[in-house]
Amino acid sequence: MRQRRRMAQGLTLLAAVALIATACGSSSSGGSSSGGTGKPIVVGTTDKVVSFDPAGSYDQGSWTPMYSMYQTLLFFPPGSTKATPDAAKSCAFTDTTTYVCTMRSGQKFWNGDPVTAKDVVYSFTRNLKIKAPNGASSLLDPVKSVTTQGSDKVVFALKQPFALFPDILGDPSNAIVDPKVFPPTKLVANDKIVGSGPYELSKYQDGQQLVLKPNPHYAGTLKLHNSGVIVRYYTQASALKLAVEGGDADVAYRTFSPTDIASLRGEGSRGVQVVEGQGAEIQYIVFNQKIMPGGSAAQKLAIRKAMALTIDRPAIAKSDYNNTVTPLYSMIPAGLTGHTESFKQVYGDAPNTAKAKSTLSSAGVKTPVSLDLWWTPSHYGETSADMYTTIKRQLEATGLFKINLHSAEWDQYSGAYPTDQYQSFQLGWFPDYPDSDDYAAPFYGTSPLSFLNDHFSNPQVDSAIAAERKSTDPSARAKSFGQVQLIGAQQAPIIPIWQGKEIAVQRKGVTGVASTLDPSYTFRYWLIGKS
Amino acid sequence: MAKKNSGSLRSYLLVRLLLVLPMVLILLTFVFLLMRVAPGDPIQAALGGKLSPAQLAARRAAAGYDRPLIVQYGEYLRQVITGNFGTTITDHRPVIDVVKTSGAATLELTVGALVVAIIVGVPVGLLCGRYRDTWFDASGRTFGVVIYAAPVFLTGLLAQLIFGKDLGWLPTSGQASPLTQAFLQTHSNFLLIDTIIDGNTAAFWDVFKHLILPATTLGLLLSGVFIRLVRVNVIQTLRHDYIEAARARGINEPRVVFRHAFRNALVPVITVMGLQAALLLSGAVLTEETFNWPGIGHALIDYLNNRDYIAVQGIITVFALAVVVISLLIDFINAWADPRMRY
Repeated sequence: MRQRRRMAQGLTLLAAVALIATACGSSSSGGSSSGGTGKPIVVGTTDKVVSFDPAGSYDQGSWTPMYSMYQTLLFFPPGSTKATPDAAKSCAFTDTTTYVCTMRSGQKFWNGDPVTAKDVVYSFTRNLKIKAPNGASSLLDPVKSVTTQGSDKVVFALKQPFALFPDILGDPSNAIVDPKVFPPTKLVANDKIVGSGPYELSKYQDGQQLVLKPNPHYAGTLKLHNSGVIVRYYTQASALKLAVEGGDADVAYRTFSPTDIASLRGEGSRGVQVVEGQGAEIQYIVFNQKIMPGGSAAQKLAIRKAMALTIDRPAIAKSDYNNTVTPLYSMIPAGLTGHTESFKQVYGDAPNTAKAKSTLSSAGVKTPVSLDLWWTPSHYGETSADMYTTIKRQLEATGLFKINLHSAEWDQYSGAYPTDQYQSFQLGWFPDYPDSDDYAAPFYGTSPLSFLNDHFSNPQVDSAIAAERKSTDPSARAKSFGQVQLIGAQQAPIIPIWQGKEIAVQRKGVTGVASTLDPSYTFRYWLIGKS
Repeated sequence: MAKKNSGSLRSYLLVRLLLVLPMVLILLTFVFLLMRVAPGDPIQAALGGKLSPAQLAARRAAAGYDRPLIVQYGEYLRQVITGNFGTTITDHRPVIDVVKTSGAATLELTVGALVVAIIVGVPVGLLCGRYRDTWFDASGRTFGVVIYAAPVFLTGLLAQLIFGKDLGWLPTSGQASPLTQAFLQTHSNFLLIDTIIDGNTAAFWDVFKHLILPATTLGLLLSGVFIRLVRVNVIQTLRHDYIEAARARGINEPRVVFRHAFRNALVPVITVMGLQAALLLSGAVLTEETFNWPGIGHALIDYLNNRDYIAVQGIITVFALAVVVISLLIDFINAWADPRMRY
């Protein structure tokens, strides 16, 4: 029975290979020699797609396939957090507020239309004009204007110096679109898009699957290691796990629970392999400085410091997350420019109950400190429940704290934490762009730089953020980030807990997955091959 | 007399039809209010924890979610009346497209489940009734109760583990394998029919095999109801005088049971089958989640999680209309078959 099933699958596979090969055959007339070798691959995921229109998406589920279907002026090569030219031949600041990109010649959308500097201007203008509720147009807030210069140059005028602007250009929300296909004020349906990336959308069935074939007109630099990609969408991690175990998916990327990962790690004999890379997802606890316990600012600070001294991050990573995360001692994760383990510097690398006790007593804080700690059950995964039980246990074991755990579903939670309803609360963060600024300004900057509304404000931090945003010198920026992290640890308005790993599961014979798992969260389909 | 009877049938049908309107209106209003009263909205669900309260409020205003409820309600009703269910907020699809594609998958699943329920429930119920109080009857009744009481996701998960993972006989998720689905032409949104139209035997078997576990899981749940219902009706029918008369005339037992008792016992079962439509649809939601079946229940849960008002309202309205239409049809059939129903 199993053999007959495999035979039927094999025949279907052959038919598929033939079909994709036909598509590749026609591609030779398109002038590209980069794509379409090897076998098609099947990628399974529990991600959801909001929109493949660059103006309408601001989520990982939409962005992951978009990296392969569109071109951006700059992109992130594997293992790098520095954006380098993609559709552009070169890009550079001509002064602190002017950024100029020169387009690569001979590039086309998959419908054959040429990709021009005018199209780039149209794409950015359109994004800013539509301002879709689920879109990422807010990332373009620093842009004053976008214009063409000559036939092949795009000029970005910025409102103020913003050194990390090139990184933002690597986001799929800033992908180049064809004005003939994308109307200026309306989003385009997911199955009607046209891009100029290495793959062309062949078929899309919402919530079911996405089929990509090599773009016959692609004239970029990327080499394809497969002849097509099928992305299969699953709602349950359990179904995704069964799919990769049974060979229905060659690769499973996002998102398994730590328990699933632990189980899959033991299935090498069944042809399954867990692949890990450095991620940049983080989780942390925020204190609302207005309503947290403590009779004065000094007492509140002492309470935060005592908590920072008590929480045992390695224990959480090991017992609750099966080492699928690593302990985090800074809000800027490891792997990004300027990362320092500031919390280790300030509080040591192991919990210190005696120091926590003396910190509280010297500030005149009565113990045990009663603190409301909120967490949300499903938004950050089911393991949140375990983690917050562990944190409560760790804190209460010292006799210094009485933790009142509360939980609320995301709909209620996300409306309550920024409106002074929670004393302290769980949050998580995925990067918009792989730069340390994305972990400094949104958390430590004075509102509106910070989205937390936790009433933390520090002039030294604000000036350090302003300095790193102006500077293009990596060492100067690293110095600014060092300052932000040190003050962040000393004041502890937020306690970082862990940094996630990028994890995928692959079948035996699949190649290239490890090389695409990095903090940029760019899952590059073109790198994946199958023998 | 016949004239008077047919007149009362007409008025009965008219009243039933007129009752549909307030019923649907109440339901629409209820769904609309429930979605608005519950905390959160599509913007917050997607971008909460990413943007500041001010940025979220600006986006909410731009999308029109801060308009007075009555204005939004009026607009919603106007759209529904004109047959326009709107476009989903989260993925920008016309709701009617969602209903068409996902609805077809659900229908394929429910038809498959109904077939399984009939194949299992009716014969077991018949034999339990015929051999009342025997070991077979006890086993059949126990099976019926247990299978009806077992949660769909539990039965589904066990089936996945046994027939999918351990034995490797059947696929455990989706409507077809990725490669089949990728290259199958869409004609009707019903995958089985599409494979037949294409004359693609390998694809047909692939789709059919994907249907077996979810349809069996949902069908077995329903078979529990059928077993008990058929059993009770067969027992009652076998007590009737005409059955005794048939036996007295020397008609052999199988003929008495199948030809006379069973056929009459089936009439109330057919009525209940219609009434089970709602149960089947609600059961389909859980089955679809368990088996990653891309049906309308699956879509509904997705949209609910993302607080997509428009999609949820549209899908529930279609669900409700389907149940109302089926109930109406059953009422019509009953009123036609049994004059007592009209009074």
